[in-house]
Amino acid sequence: MAAASRSGVAEEIAKLSVEQLQAVKEQVDAELSVLQDSVGSIRTAANRFEMAANALHNLSLQKTGQQMLVPLTASLYVPGVLDNVDNVLVDVGTGYYIEKSLADGNDYCDRKIKFLKANHDKLVEVANDKRNTAEQVSLVLQAKMRSLSAGEQQRA
Amino acid sequence: MASVTSASERRGIPAAPFVHDVQSFLTQSSYDASTALVALQDRLQQYKLAEMKLLAQRRDLQAKIPDIKKCVEIVDTLLAKKGTGETMKVDFELAEGIYSRAQIPEADSVCLWLGANVMLEYPLEEARSLLQSNLENATASLKSIIEDMQFLRDQVTVTEVTIARVYNFDVHQRRKLRNQAKEEEES
Repeated sequence: MAAASRSGVAEEIAKLSVEQLQAVKEQVDAELSVLQDSVGSIRTAANRFEMAANALHNLSLQKTGQQMLVPLTASLYVPGVLDNVDNVLVDVGTGYYIEKSLADGNDYCDRKIKFLKANHDKLVEVANDKRNTAEQVSLVLQAKMRSLSAGEQQRA
Repeated sequence: MASVTSASERRGIPAAPFVHDVQSFLTQSSYDASTALVALQDRLQQYKLAEMKLLAQRRDLQAKIPDIKKCVEIVDTLLAKKGTGETMKVDFELAEGIYSRAQIPEADSVCLWLGANVMLEYPLEEARSLLQSNLENATASLKSIIEDMQFLRDQVTVTEVTIARVYNFDVHQRRKLRNQAKEEEES
């Protein structure tokens, strides 16, 4: 089905003129870069959740009452004592924080990672299709320009 | 004659001399028009580079300053609580999006991350004065960088104007020479 649609697109592309081809090429390139940005940001988000899962795993190895340095800001730490190994606060977005047990927190992170990975794969596929279209368009464009300039040389 | 309008240099950025008369500027520096243009374009590039550097520094400072302010506030809170003997319960960031709870018994000292893998423990008062002086330094640097950028922008404008005038002067000269040559041919 993908092959048939691609050959159908190829026919359409061959019918366009040079200016229209250039416009189409620019449009497809712009769409491609947007898709690549989205793929990148999904990857970043997935990394964040993987780090969170690691942190939760580390937390599970600790015990309540353990001495630690509590980060109050990025550069300020205060000596303190770990209070609660069983519950964590999870940031679910738009300013909401939910207290969950350690197991639920792990489950939340895993679910998010899976969801993001699925979206990431889908996007990569769409981006590849777009890239193929862009290549086709630029090939046809080059062929047309070559035939145009050859035709002009013959006339001259 | 070329003259200088403000300080001849500011923190390593050379000032662009304002050119009152293009002809005398060219004869004084014994450049011809195209060499002068190249030199001026070069200057312009240096200014643009300096502007990018200052922009990056300003961005860094603007990120650091609110962080330092927060640290100062927190140390103030700790100082206020010091006399009371109550333990604080805090939620701290375990990872991005995950927070966990800890208890802080009476704190006499805090640890400050100084960068370059160095962390030092300070008594509360010393930490506060250190953070306060950091904040003041950062604010002063930011102000100085903003002033530098304004100065730089002025120099860029002056240089661009000079380039335009030298170019116009050059066009004018060529046209005069062409007309003179034509008159000599006709006569």
